[in-house]
Amino acid sequence: MALVDRCRANVPGAFEEVYRLHAPRLFGLACRMVGRVEAEDLLQEIFLTAHRKLGLYKGEAALGTWLFRLGMNQCLDYLRSKHARFAQVSDELPEERDGGVASAGAILGVVDRLDLERGLADLPPGCRTVFVLHDVEGLEHREIGSLLGISDGTSKSQLHKARMRLRASLGRGKHV
Amino acid sequence: MSELLDGSLSPAEQAVVRVHLDECAVCRGVYADLERVRAAARDLGPIAPPAHLWLEVAGRVRLETDAAPAVAAAGAPDVRRARLQWLGIAAALVLATLTAYVMRGPSQPPPAATEAPAATTAAGNPRDTRSVEAVAEEMRLALQHYENAISGLEAITRDSNSAMDPEVAATVQRNLMVINQAISESRAALVDDPTSGPARESLVDALRRKMDVLTASVSLINQMRQGDQIGAARATGRKSS
Repeated sequence: MALVDRCRANVPGAFEEVYRLHAPRLFGLACRMVGRVEAEDLLQEIFLTAHRKLGLYKGEAALGTWLFRLGMNQCLDYLRSKHARFAQVSDELPEERDGGVASAGAILGVVDRLDLERGLADLPPGCRTVFVLHDVEGLEHREIGSLLGISDGTSKSQLHKARMRLRASLGRGKHV
Repeated sequence: MSELLDGSLSPAEQAVVRVHLDECAVCRGVYADLERVRAAARDLGPIAPPAHLWLEVAGRVRLETDAAPAVAAAGAPDVRRARLQWLGIAAALVLATLTAYVMRGPSQPPPAATEAPAATTAAGNPRDTRSVEAVAEEMRLALQHYENAISGLEAITRDSNSAMDPEVAATVQRNLMVINQAISESRAALVDDPTSGPARESLVDALRRKMDVLTASVSLINQMRQGDQIGAARATGRKSS
């Protein structure tokens, strides 16, 4: 019997199996989008919602994809509720301020994972979200634009802004 | 440059940008950095959630799906509920104290036996003049407090096992077995080298995880005893907040 069917039939251990399989990816997504502390609450909500909605899952996409969409929407809802200006921020493109490092040419060596996570956490929510969805999770600009209610062009601009800011934060102290 | 990186430019546009990159070392450097940032982002993998989160999820799922009224709630003495809550608070306080100890070291002044001329580190900070024995003793006492709190939580989860969903109880036991193994290994490492920082941190981390699992278990038992309605209300409250 498929895992989803076992969950629907309340077979002991089935929903835990779903959790064990998919929680790490969803927790990574939530940590990067909303921060570690909020991510713990959100992960619970994601799986509670998944449990409630399993009956609606038709199997058109893989279970992991379905769960990822559900989790991503929960993260976005959270950001919208917490940051009243989130939608506007996503559309705004303030003047780039990269601390002048653009004039220094290449400044980065090997990018440390923890440094990147820290840099991500410091990004404004709008461009951080686009960066996470595009560069970490591999979504296309069209999908991101649809999710966030922004144009493809805005999504591209936000992505570039996020990359430049990350470059600046990662390169801080490494350029002359 | 980002669009070139992502391959979303037309061939003509790509050619124009590439010609510029060939001529401009500064832009070439920026482009190389952006490639590194993007490559590093792609390598960011999943993050394992804390062990206690599954217990929270399982408990809340059970509260939502189990339609049976919580008869046990009526029989749950208030004094026992209060004890559970106080144990949770006490455990959290011990955890905070011990974590602070491990991160920063004890705040008490050194004992008289370690009197020595005031010395400083190269950075100008006062040198720690406590004896190894004094530090080990403080660590032992802190761990003892921690373990006492854990013992209290363990006793409650053992006594209240019937109040917990069998599936969740089995998960708790599996988690505890893994964590107990880690605690044993850390203790063995500390016997070999009582001053080992990594062994000490590993032990405290394992104890912290055990505390998380037990605290989550007690919380679940508490919810079961208070009745599913309260737990459901909490779940609804979280959802709507």
